[in-house]
Amino acid sequence: MNLLLSDDYLLQDYPENITNTIRSGHSTCVRFNRKGDFLASGRVDGTVVIWDLETMGVARKLRGHSKNITSLSWSRCGRYLLSACQGWKAILWDLQDGKRHREVRFRAPVYGAELHPWNHHQFVAALFEDQPMLVDITDPADVRYVLPSVTKRPNTETDAAVREKHAKEDAKHMTTAIVYTAAGDHLLAGTTKGRLNIIDAKTREIIYSEKIASGIITTLRLTESGKELLVNAQDRIIRTFIVPNLSTTDLDLDTIQIPLEHKFQDVVNRLSWNHVAFSATGEYVAASTYNNHELYIWERGHGSLVRMLEGPKEEQGVIEWHPHRALLAACGLETGRINIWSVTSPQRWSALAPDFVEVEENVEYVEKEDEFDIHPQEEIQKRRLDQEDEDVDVLTVENSAGLGDDVDAFRMPILFNLGESDSEEEFVNVSLGTLRRKSPGDQDEGEMTGEEKGTGKKTSGAGRGRGRRK
Amino acid sequence: MSEVDPASGVPISEPPSKRRRVHDDSLDSTPQYGSPDSAPQNSPPNSGRLPDQSLSIRRGPPSRSRSRSRDGDATMDNENEDNRRRYHSSRSRSRSSSRARSTPRSRSQSRDRHRSRSASYSRSRSRSVTHDHSRSRSQSRSRSRSRSLSSPSHPQPPTHDKPDHHHRHDQPPLLPNYHQHLLLQGHKGAVSQVRISPDGRWIASASADGTAKIWDASTGAHLETLVGHMAGVSCLAWAPDSNTLATGSDDKAIRLWDRVTGSPAHAVAHRENTAADMVGVVKKGGVAAAKAAARRARMGVPGEGVRGGRTGRGPLLGHHNYVYCLAFSPKGNILASGSYDEAVFLWDVRAGRLMRSLPAHSDPVSGVDFCRDGTLVVSCSTDGLIRVWDTSTGQCLRTLVHEDNPAVANVCFSPNGRFVLAFSLDNSIRLWDYVSGSVKKTYQGHSNKGFSIGGCFGVLTDHDDGGEEQPADDDESRQQSFIASASEDGDIVMWDVKSKGIIQRIEGAHDGVCFCVDVYGGIMVSSGQDGFVKVFRHRPKSGPVKREDGDVNGFSGANGHREEDETPDAAAAADEELQRQVEAEAGSPGQHVKEEQL
Repeated sequence: MNLLLSDDYLLQDYPENITNTIRSGHSTCVRFNRKGDFLASGRVDGTVVIWDLETMGVARKLRGHSKNITSLSWSRCGRYLLSACQGWKAILWDLQDGKRHREVRFRAPVYGAELHPWNHHQFVAALFEDQPMLVDITDPADVRYVLPSVTKRPNTETDAAVREKHAKEDAKHMTTAIVYTAAGDHLLAGTTKGRLNIIDAKTREIIYSEKIASGIITTLRLTESGKELLVNAQDRIIRTFIVPNLSTTDLDLDTIQIPLEHKFQDVVNRLSWNHVAFSATGEYVAASTYNNHELYIWERGHGSLVRMLEGPKEEQGVIEWHPHRALLAACGLETGRINIWSVTSPQRWSALAPDFVEVEENVEYVEKEDEFDIHPQEEIQKRRLDQEDEDVDVLTVENSAGLGDDVDAFRMPILFNLGESDSEEEFVNVSLGTLRRKSPGDQDEGEMTGEEKGTGKKTSGAGRGRGRRK
Repeated sequence: MSEVDPASGVPISEPPSKRRRVHDDSLDSTPQYGSPDSAPQNSPPNSGRLPDQSLSIRRGPPSRSRSRSRDGDATMDNENEDNRRRYHSSRSRSRSSSRARSTPRSRSQSRDRHRSRSASYSRSRSRSVTHDHSRSRSQSRSRSRSRSLSSPSHPQPPTHDKPDHHHRHDQPPLLPNYHQHLLLQGHKGAVSQVRISPDGRWIASASADGTAKIWDASTGAHLETLVGHMAGVSCLAWAPDSNTLATGSDDKAIRLWDRVTGSPAHAVAHRENTAADMVGVVKKGGVAAAKAAARRARMGVPGEGVRGGRTGRGPLLGHHNYVYCLAFSPKGNILASGSYDEAVFLWDVRAGRLMRSLPAHSDPVSGVDFCRDGTLVVSCSTDGLIRVWDTSTGQCLRTLVHEDNPAVANVCFSPNGRFVLAFSLDNSIRLWDYVSGSVKKTYQGHSNKGFSIGGCFGVLTDHDDGGEEQPADDDESRQQSFIASASEDGDIVMWDVKSKGIIQRIEGAHDGVCFCVDVYGGIMVSSGQDGFVKVFRHRPKSGPVKREDGDVNGFSGANGHREEDETPDAAAAADEELQRQVEAEAGSPGQHVKEEQL
């Protein structure tokens, strides 16, 4: 509704400056829901916090993990949230009551888990030094399918030594990132060897594999339409690809092509990228930088760098772009704060006084013929009332955006018992405890819990802190 | 601020109030309930029928005298003819700067403004907004209320008192035909606001006696009395899940209540023993408990919470003056409050935290509302301005002001959120298109000069009208939107939105001023100066006539609510039984008198 009145469409469609900083514990990963009104954040202590973006306040807290949360994934309806942690398990939360809907344990820490885009009873998980799994939790007993990371070699090799060598190689080949395609029929997986695999979700076999990067693939992201793929790898290059429609019936496995569209890199500074995200439409690509404070935003059409966002003097980890607004959320690695960049439109002063109009240049006022004519009050009144012959419709909703107007949309209950749990004490305790618990073997991205400083805390209760700390 | 005497529950001493002034020239009159023959007459407003009661609160405060000098009121309100930007020779209304306030907040209740507007033409903005007039039933259900209450099963023939042009339609339009159904007694002061919960099952009423009460909308049973405010309660709002109620009071506090338990609606119980005890709940006629609670409340300190926030079960504190209007966002996460301190506050409901303070007006904020998607807040004030705000940024997006600059006493969005309905103190209700900034309709015929009375949009569908025989096709289903408003002569007036004609007038619904009307499909509630809350039911015009044989099914299968269109005998019997039930439940016989007029 506010779009009817605002000029926000004139504003640029990528964020500009930091508008909010919110904190609850030490957040390591964030994810927006599809509607964009909630932001889930996972903390190092295993708590998942749901933020209401309208109030910038905590809407729910989910406790069940005991280790660092590594990934979050919302169901399409926004009612279920899948969280995966380093503690070898993934939990599907029902946000209606805040209880765990299902819990799945693995035999390794989880890199990331993603829900099927249409069916919240299915998800894939990329595991640490283990093969990825597709888990079906439709039935009370979950069904797991191990997915391959390597294409099956034709069984023509007779030499046992070669075969053994191959087996050894294959055993080292791990999947580090895995996502569903938009339709959910296929999986895109990135491996430690820089290969991109397409796996058929039904047959669970690799139907396409190509080496796209020279380093470990750390992040795979698709746009909402599923037509563009964003790949971050450890070779310091961010790549975008065009994904063909894999769900067509006449899909020819031999002709699948994933053409490379752009490579984004900083050749001067040789920066490596912590995390990447597509903008709402895929028009922009944002990345947080390793050992650097800035966020980079490229335009995908031309492949040009449009903006380097500065924020707090802190390295940013996971970044997420809002599903339809020019808003970026990023986790500060050191403090665990969630920093939010957005655009701020200035107050239009003409809105405060209806008789004023903001003009760009001087306009000569032309007096109307009858402007100063004097009429009796009754006549004016009558004429005014007679002019109200327009047909008004107070009922029909103009369906403009189609966002969030679903009748059966899930509505998060309003809780009053969240309490003041974002206190300093909890924060300190948590971070110390987590530091102690953190196992050195975990090298998952975005979890480099730096040395904690207890200074400069800005509670989330301050909410609308337009703090831009220098 | 009026003190509540715990013994009697009525305010003691001279209770000052803000909005509601009393008509002095008034004849006494017994309440006339809308009987079928008297209701449809479109009689002119009878403003002389008010009793000169000694009102509890809502009397004009003697200490408030406003001296406002608004200089330079000559206006040249020409709007540009085309869409190109140009200068307006604007009104030299230097509103904020040239106001001379004699004392901090002293204003006279007879607001004498010097309006010397010279020739001012009606605005003709040429920015034309195209409307899509295609009706689709599922979309236009306002506020996503599921109408589950009344499902009478009678066909509805053409009716009598509608405008002529409607006769030509194949299907007769639905016309409101509300008749009194229940009378809810119990408040010991004027009832300033009454609202039906978003699910249509409950009625909440806020009263000058310092309490709010929750009633069952179908039976009229009194469920809870919410005691805790230390002064009269001016406003209330239902959360969209119908489980939480917010009340705002002259004690500057906003309290949130759990509908089910009747206790303050936040569960964290830390360092608030006193606060928890002080806010008592009175269940079902426990008058003694109410008094005790009120007494305890009076002895306690009226603000345990931190200013601008809330700890534990404390109220939402932050306003510097009377809280006067409240509205929940459609998601229930934000509460907007308007106050006599001239600001609109947006509260984070979950944390009880003041989220944003909008420097809204230069006079008491008399009404706030959220639009249906929650992105806009509208506020109005007695300074005559209606402002539309962006919820997310807190910026003012539009200011609406009528040329005569009448004080605006209430405001609400249309069900689709495209228009703003403003109740102004020149006996007019105006429908504003806030995008173009122009008045689309002016509804007149009620009396509203001094009180901030409330009204709302109502929507009748075939479902409310007993449309089981009606085609189920969405395109075929009829919908009638109307505007219902209270009137200072005690009437309730309903207008057709498009034709601006009065389509029903319930005369003498209340003794004295009728303050507030709320409509939920086939149910309408009203509250008034007489301390009563009345429930009205829409009745399809010929329903009872056709069912003279007494073949009624008094309960609709789905939810067991009694239908309103029973035959007189059955209805009377059912009513008697219902009344006994109600009294037994309430534990205080005589508290609930129910009247069914057929």
